[in-house]
Amino acid sequence: MSEDQDKYIAEVVEKALRGDMDAINNIEDRVTRSKAKAALIKAKRLSKTAAAEAAPAEETAQTDTTPTEKSLNQKVAESLEKKFSGSIDSEDVNEHIQLNGKNWFEIAQYLKDNPDLLFDSLQCITGFDFGEGEALEVRYNLHSMTHYHAIEIRIKTDRNDPKVPSVEQVWRIGDWFERETYDMYGIVFEGHHNMTRILCPEDWEGWPLRKDYETQETYHGIIVPKVKEGWE
Amino acid sequence: MTVDNLINWFPFGAEWPVITFVSAVLICAIPVFLFIAVYALVAIYGELKISSFMQDKVGPMGQGVGLHAGKWGLLQPVADALKLILKEDIIPESADKKLFILAPFVVFVGAFITFAALPFSQEIIVADMNIGVFYILAVSSLGVIGIILAGWSSNNKWSLYGAMRSAAQIVSYEIPAGLSIITIVMLTGTLSMQGIIISQQGIIWGFLPNWIIFNNPFSFIAFFIFFISGVAECNRTPFDIPEAESELVAGAYTEYSGMRYAFFFLSEYANMFVVSGVAVAAFLGGWNSPIPGFMDSPPWGLFWFIGKSMSLIFLMIWFRWTFPRLRVDQLMSVCWKVFLPVSFVNIFGVGIWNLLVG
Amino acid sequence: MGIVHGDLMTLNIGPQHPSTHGVLRLKVKTDGEIISEVEPYIGYLHRCFEKHCENVTYDQVIPYTDRCDYIASMNNNFGYAVAVEELMKIKVPERVEYIRVIVAELNRIASHLLALGTFGLDVGAFTPFLYMFRDRERILDIFEVLCGARLLYNYIWVGGVSHDFPKEFVKIVYSFLDYFEPKIKEYNEILTYNKIFIERTADVGVMPPEVAISYGVSGPNLRGSGVQWDIRKNETYSIYEKFDFDIPVGSGIMGTVGDCWDRYYVRMQEMPQSAKIIRQALKAIPEGNVHQALPKKIRPPKGFIYKRTESPRGDLAYYIVSDGSPIPFRLKMRSPAFTALSVLGEISQGWMMSDVIAILGSLDIVLGEIDR
Repeated sequence: MSEDQDKYIAEVVEKALRGDMDAINNIEDRVTRSKAKAALIKAKRLSKTAAAEAAPAEETAQTDTTPTEKSLNQKVAESLEKKFSGSIDSEDVNEHIQLNGKNWFEIAQYLKDNPDLLFDSLQCITGFDFGEGEALEVRYNLHSMTHYHAIEIRIKTDRNDPKVPSVEQVWRIGDWFERETYDMYGIVFEGHHNMTRILCPEDWEGWPLRKDYETQETYHGIIVPKVKEGWE
Repeated sequence: MTVDNLINWFPFGAEWPVITFVSAVLICAIPVFLFIAVYALVAIYGELKISSFMQDKVGPMGQGVGLHAGKWGLLQPVADALKLILKEDIIPESADKKLFILAPFVVFVGAFITFAALPFSQEIIVADMNIGVFYILAVSSLGVIGIILAGWSSNNKWSLYGAMRSAAQIVSYEIPAGLSIITIVMLTGTLSMQGIIISQQGIIWGFLPNWIIFNNPFSFIAFFIFFISGVAECNRTPFDIPEAESELVAGAYTEYSGMRYAFFFLSEYANMFVVSGVAVAAFLGGWNSPIPGFMDSPPWGLFWFIGKSMSLIFLMIWFRWTFPRLRVDQLMSVCWKVFLPVSFVNIFGVGIWNLLVG
Repeated sequence: MGIVHGDLMTLNIGPQHPSTHGVLRLKVKTDGEIISEVEPYIGYLHRCFEKHCENVTYDQVIPYTDRCDYIASMNNNFGYAVAVEELMKIKVPERVEYIRVIVAELNRIASHLLALGTFGLDVGAFTPFLYMFRDRERILDIFEVLCGARLLYNYIWVGGVSHDFPKEFVKIVYSFLDYFEPKIKEYNEILTYNKIFIERTADVGVMPPEVAISYGVSGPNLRGSGVQWDIRKNETYSIYEKFDFDIPVGSGIMGTVGDCWDRYYVRMQEMPQSAKIIRQALKAIPEGNVHQALPKKIRPPKGFIYKRTESPRGDLAYYIVSDGSPIPFRLKMRSPAFTALSVLGEISQGWMMSDVIAILGSLDIVLGEIDR
């Protein structure tokens, strides 16, 4: 997508938000029009949720001031901050712990071996795409078979050069999960012994689960059928 | 019906000895071939029906109008045979053509010529050789060459696996089988099949027929060693590791189809009959009636021999549909670590028994 | 003379092979019969399940989950429905919960029957396979009565189920259980305690608990290694806390803990437990409306959820990210068979050709779920 087009869409959305829907409806190119509409919906939703979220956020802030016990996430975050300072990205650790990918391998080793945590089972690695032009993310769901507790760890990575340290040596299942994530998102796991596609054919082009994925025209002379638009 | 009788019966035997001999052999071979073909159809039908009853299903059934498998599915084996004959015969491009074509015949011939020494009744035997037992043991191991040929010439890794397993298995199991037969030879003092059977007439221990299996405890064990080894030589479950459809697809026969495959199939069933027949002749009194003196005439002999063999074949079918398959090393260790020592002990035991009791 | 070491031969087991349980290719390096390296190649059944899900509404995802693990579709529906309901924070009527547990446990029995039967087939026993299929057929008949489909049910929906039980259904299930429970003895007699079967499976393909956990193996395979872990008990969902049932674990009766026989036997023991759950559920099932909580349009609030459930193959988890629209923003399925297959290369090294087939059979994989 060109920058001109971006600007144009932004302009049109701006107009539409002020009530001038014709600006969008008059766009001739079908693709640009649908993109503009999507952007409009997004913008509307953002303004709505911003208003809606303000209220519950205050509520949770109130309940959080009183708790007597620290949640597991906070415990993990604190111990990580102590041992690997500067590795946690976000202050908010209620639902998940956001790491920046530095020392991830050592952190993983620590999470697995620390007797209080003992996250000996990597349940799932989920690749995640925030949308066109935005960052990619890897989400790890860890679980301890001894303490029966679980956390979620997220690592953001750059879209154009996605790289995350591999943890296949810590949890052996990381091998296949990382290959799957690489296959679908193109996120390279550094240190993996065999970073190849696992589900798609080896010579497949593109990263299918990225939001801006476009299927190739032909594959070995076979025409790849296009995905029909939308679910409606 | 022996070849010798035929040769003597021909009026021009003296003038053209070669022609006489060849025609006598051919005259004997045709009924044997027909017998194998008919028996195979019966055995296949039996296998289908017996397995069906064991597995809680009905098996081939004739129902409704139009093309169907006859009453109770009786025509099913005929249909199977027709299918195999009419099927396209495929020879893989990278196969060794000559050996590939030769292999099924070698296997079938190995099974077929063994029938020459099988005593069907007092009078029906193709050739009552004085070394009949020896002949059967020698000739029945020819089949393994055919299987190796098939596995090698198919140029397929699965076939090669199957052939190698088959060779190792058949060669190993010949030994306990042969050693068990030696106990018979020690007891009867003859290598002739008819001689062995004749020595089993009468009654032993007061009420049992004078069969070698009941003669002494060692020959009783020898029968089971021989029969199990025989099942292994036929490549039947639980010893079907050369075919092992869940591992090796179809082992040595993977690349074969149509008529050539049918030959392997036929020789497997023929081998089953040979093993059962030898076991019956050597241990179970051959064509002798189970109750001495009752229905003991020559025509009944044929009935007893085939009847006894068929019961052993039923036993094999029963094995097949009950047991899982052994692994190749377990198969070998059963042979070399269990059957072989026991067979040796048997030979000693029979010898001592002969000295003390017999 | 020492041992002769020749070159290794590379052998392709599959993609078309009688014992790969689907379209799977194992690249195997062999030294004669001995296997020195197994590398599974998957993806032949890849249908972009996750990409599909990003293009359909939440309720339209359910038929896709059917097609992932086509042996235990009910459990897949169940897991998905539970995850979305938790994301939406809706509570389903009591009757729906009972119905779900009953059908899920029935499907667990059906799935285990198939797993055990094909495992028997892999080691060469043909008859037990047909016995087990005969009984699985009855469960499929029950499902046909229930929802018209025999394999891909699309029965458990978000907030409810598609139909209530038909008339007499409870009676049919009871009669099935009365018929089925004595059959376990028959299976044990013909297969479990067969000498050859024990020879073939005991001590073979031992999976130590550390290896199993490190590879994320779950379900009966993990329990076969002696680890007591069942999501129905340890992280209970739906109404499983109301039922009384045991979790069988492998104890190495015939060989080492975690061998093929243990994995087999854990499944065998789980079937009566499932039957026990069904009996309790049938007794206690309340009356009620099964569509009460069914939302018209499913629009979960913004957020994410990682929800695990116990499918017959292990921890089946859905990771769902919602952006507030009627379409999932991201849906990831954590497939238990995927992790189970990844351990194959590790535990089958040094075993023989036939053992690899047996180990693969004992892991009970479904390729539809691995490739998704």
